[in-house]
Amino acid sequence: MNLHMTDEQSALVAAVQEILRDHSDLPQSARLHSHWYNETLQRLLVENGYLDVGRQIGSLEAALVVIEAAKAPVVAEVAASSLLAAQLLPDENLEGPIAIVSGDHLTRAHRNLSIARHAFIDLGEDVAVVPVWADNVELVPSILAYPFGRFIRPPELRTARRLPSKGAELRKWWRVAVAAEAAGAAQAAVTCTLNHVKQRNVFGHPVAAFQTVQHRMVQCHMVATALYYLSLRAAATGLPYDADVAACYAQQHVKKLVVDLHQFCGAMGVTNEFELHLWTYRLRALQTEAGGLVESALDVVTRRWGHG
Amino acid sequence: MEFDWTPEQIQYREHVRAALRELLPPDWDQVYVPQSYGSDAAIEFSRAFCAELAKRGLLVPHWPREYGGNGADDWQHFILGEEMKAAGEPRGPQYMNVNWIGPTLMRFGSEEQRRQHLLAIASGRVIWCQGFSEPGAGTDLAALKTRAENRGDHYIINGSKIWTSYARKADWCFVLARTGAGRKDVSVFLLPMSTPGIKVTSFPGLIKDGHLNEVFFTDVVAPVSARLGEEGTAWKIIKYALSYERVGVARYHAGLEALDHAIEVLKRENRFDDPVLQARAGVIVSKFEAARLLTYRVVDQRVQGTSDTTDANLCRIAALDAVEDFMDFLIQYVPDCLAGGDVLLEDYYRINIPAGITGGTNELQLDLVAARGLGMPRRT
Repeated sequence: MNLHMTDEQSALVAAVQEILRDHSDLPQSARLHSHWYNETLQRLLVENGYLDVGRQIGSLEAALVVIEAAKAPVVAEVAASSLLAAQLLPDENLEGPIAIVSGDHLTRAHRNLSIARHAFIDLGEDVAVVPVWADNVELVPSILAYPFGRFIRPPELRTARRLPSKGAELRKWWRVAVAAEAAGAAQAAVTCTLNHVKQRNVFGHPVAAFQTVQHRMVQCHMVATALYYLSLRAAATGLPYDADVAACYAQQHVKKLVVDLHQFCGAMGVTNEFELHLWTYRLRALQTEAGGLVESALDVVTRRWGHG
Repeated sequence: MEFDWTPEQIQYREHVRAALRELLPPDWDQVYVPQSYGSDAAIEFSRAFCAELAKRGLLVPHWPREYGGNGADDWQHFILGEEMKAAGEPRGPQYMNVNWIGPTLMRFGSEEQRRQHLLAIASGRVIWCQGFSEPGAGTDLAALKTRAENRGDHYIINGSKIWTSYARKADWCFVLARTGAGRKDVSVFLLPMSTPGIKVTSFPGLIKDGHLNEVFFTDVVAPVSARLGEEGTAWKIIKYALSYERVGVARYHAGLEALDHAIEVLKRENRFDDPVLQARAGVIVSKFEAARLLTYRVVDQRVQGTSDTTDANLCRIAALDAVEDFMDFLIQYVPDCLAGGDVLLEDYYRINIPAGITGGTNELQLDLVAARGLGMPRRT
């Protein structure tokens, strides 16, 4: 047990942060958008090998990259390309961005589908890997802070490439990815709100000076911190129990993070110009993925105590 | 980063478990655990049990060799603490000795105090109690009224302490007393409970026997040599001691063990097959696991020598969140656990009733993290 990053891990995080620092700002034209997908950042992450970290170094390091990317105001697709693809297709460099799609709900809007080159489709027992063609996806406007898209015609699954018996593996790493993205988004949302409440004065005091605000901010900070370690543990061990626990913890706390942090930012927080929504509405998007809270909680129970 | 235990740590945990299997009597769960670790019976048991642990090097493994330890790292101490807590804390009040009283004496004690107390603690035969809270001073310790008047070569102590766990059976008391007019003019004294002028009474309450005591000090004579550190330096000492106390109790481990037991009960009674109950249990597990990792982070900081943060306070907040959820779960799904239904679950529930109060209230932990951890300003 050692919860300090190695020198190599620290160097990796610092290098990712440097790229993100240079490419995280929303362009002026996108200041009022619900999200901004930065294609240049995506390309740079690929070209510099950061989306191959899961394959080349390990899943823990891939999760560290996911967490850092999730702190950025702009969107890049990192989790599926670096964490999931490395586990499902260890010997292949599948072109990203990659969307993860539930086979039971093919016609719904899916996160990252509008920017995706490929999709993993969860078919229960198996996983289908399908190319995504731009002319077969329509953009779905949403306040959820990711690009969302919907298949115009559902992909042909009968002839699609299949990864037999990989469904459970996909869902496990999907949960790790959800937890890691939530950890990064939660940390960024807490930092954003903390800056606001320290600067904004009400009734002659900074908002941060009120004890009721302080206590709830600390609870949000605690959630974000715990989530960071839970997601990294899940990535490091690859154990289904750890993945379920991390996703369960993330998804049960989305409400608290979104409600409290927006409350403290007041009316400013409901405008797109204020950046908070870029992270809180990512959390909302993650809240129901990979089965959502109830399924992750039930899976924790099954793994710990078996059925009935 | 490494989230797995090393082979040596796994082996050590097995070694501790084997010692527990060997040393605990067959009726431990039925007789001692229900009475709780603060009861007179458990305290008396702890004297023999801890002495045996000491002989096997399992009482203070993380202490330096000169004080009876093995110089092991804090991970061994925490593995030991997890297993002891999960077994119902057979060390009784002596968990406190090894967690924070000993380390505090090592840091602030005179050579004579260290020689006198540390080897005694390491032998497993001495019981301490903590004379902090008073009727008018709990979390706000600076409001305490017990006074130690400096008479040159000795002090005269008058006042009273309350909520003093284990006081009935304790050999020594770690006492806070006012030694000046200023709010923070407070000193620490190490007093034998047999000192003339010290009297203990007990009263009933919601939590288990042994915890609700009042200690009265009437013209108690304490030599200057009984003072720990310089006069008026109690806050520095207490801050150090509490940073150990806040992560010293493995609440996540004991909570998960108790939850495992509750699920066994529910399965036995064919009441486990309820998805609402199961989803709640899953959420509680995840909260205990969160508290576990936050605690491990603090242990890791200690091992690396980087700890002086509010992360220990954060552990308490996370653990309490899980404990409170689980207590509510127990009443919801094992409703007779407080009415003779299951002695182990009743013990868990009742021991944890003051979990958000002892060692500084949850609100104080939140205040400390807000101010020192997040840099949030105080209202002026």
